[in-house]
Amino acid sequence: MARILYIEDIQDNITLVEKIVTSRGHEFISANNAELGLELAFDLHPDLILLDLGLPDADGQTLSVWLRSEPAFEAVPIIVLTAWPEEVVRHTVEAYGLDGYLCKPFSLTALVQIIDSALAKKTS
Amino acid sequence: MTIELIPAEQFTLQELTELYNQTRVDYMVPMPMNASRLGDYVHDFDIDLSRSCVARAADGQMRGLCMLGVRQKQAWITRLGVLPSTRRSGVGSALLDCMLENAHSLGIEDIQLEVIKNNVPAYNLFLCKDFKETGEYLVMRRAPHPSAAPLQGNDVWLNRDEALEVLQSCPNHLTWINDLASMRNASDVECLRLTLQDGSAGWLVYRNTKFTLRSTLSHLVIHTEKGDPNEVGAQLLLNLHIRYPHHDTYAENIHINDPHLPALRALGYFENFARIEMHRLSTT
Repeated sequence: MARILYIEDIQDNITLVEKIVTSRGHEFISANNAELGLELAFDLHPDLILLDLGLPDADGQTLSVWLRSEPAFEAVPIIVLTAWPEEVVRHTVEAYGLDGYLCKPFSLTALVQIIDSALAKKTS
Repeated sequence: MTIELIPAEQFTLQELTELYNQTRVDYMVPMPMNASRLGDYVHDFDIDLSRSCVARAADGQMRGLCMLGVRQKQAWITRLGVLPSTRRSGVGSALLDCMLENAHSLGIEDIQLEVIKNNVPAYNLFLCKDFKETGEYLVMRRAPHPSAAPLQGNDVWLNRDEALEVLQSCPNHLTWINDLASMRNASDVECLRLTLQDGSAGWLVYRNTKFTLRSTLSHLVIHTEKGDPNEVGAQLLLNLHIRYPHHDTYAENIHINDPHLPALRALGYFENFARIEMHRLSTT
């Protein structure tokens, strides 16, 4: 079982992802803004972070820079879940050194696969 | 649909923020705000909330909003948004008409706005209201990463007042968010002046904004006074990112024909989306 933090401002998205994550036996925590996400990351040390790019305080890109600058989160996979156009997201993930992305709307199967893959890589 | 247009000043920033975020929930480039950021936006870009509007339906629900920035003889229409369930019912058009009337009531004839490229419904609405396209601009991003290239030239780092003085000399058109008035409203403006060995010279004005953990760089305005813009631009950006190696950078409204674009791309900037600037010149 892994601890997964989802940083996302839209409650419907949080609810949907929570169902998938918990159904796979993982622990789920969420934050609806960057500052709370950062605080929870420091306090609870998630094994995986799911990150929306459009957040109301600092955006996902900036938050990922903060997280990656902390030694505690250097090896924690960060997966982007976003409604941004795919080409921009691909560039963003490459440039910011993140671990993968899914563009909304995404299938539940795709979400499960990307979570499993990221956790497996982290373990190995 | 019957709607009532109410001055935005009658609502709290929190209420306006929640409405704005709801109007953008399915937007092609989702960029939600919180009340603090909206407050900064209102301050920095001279938004007049008494002349900005919220659309309220007969059932009492807020359905859309639009804001008006006002500076002497110019106005800027921004944050126009309508709830997804209410679109195609004339609310956006009514909000826009209200902004035009409010601007005209101040004697303002030059009204401008920006629309995200490929937002066809909004673009067509603005065309219908006699706005004309005046330029295309890129919104670019750069993740922090170390640079190994050697620095060149004589760099001088200027404080806010000096930076504003430099920006005042900018000969190029700047969009509303980067122009002198916006930068004057900000407390975090800085400038780098650079002279290269061959006499080439230029400057870079930017904002260095403190966030929770680290600052971010934004609102870049680059100008080459002498020499090759590609070379001068590259050295300006290189100096900036060596001075601030851990800063995330957001460059908004870089003109698509800006001669410094190759330098921006070479330094790791990539395009997020494009905006179309439109103006409406009234003769009334």
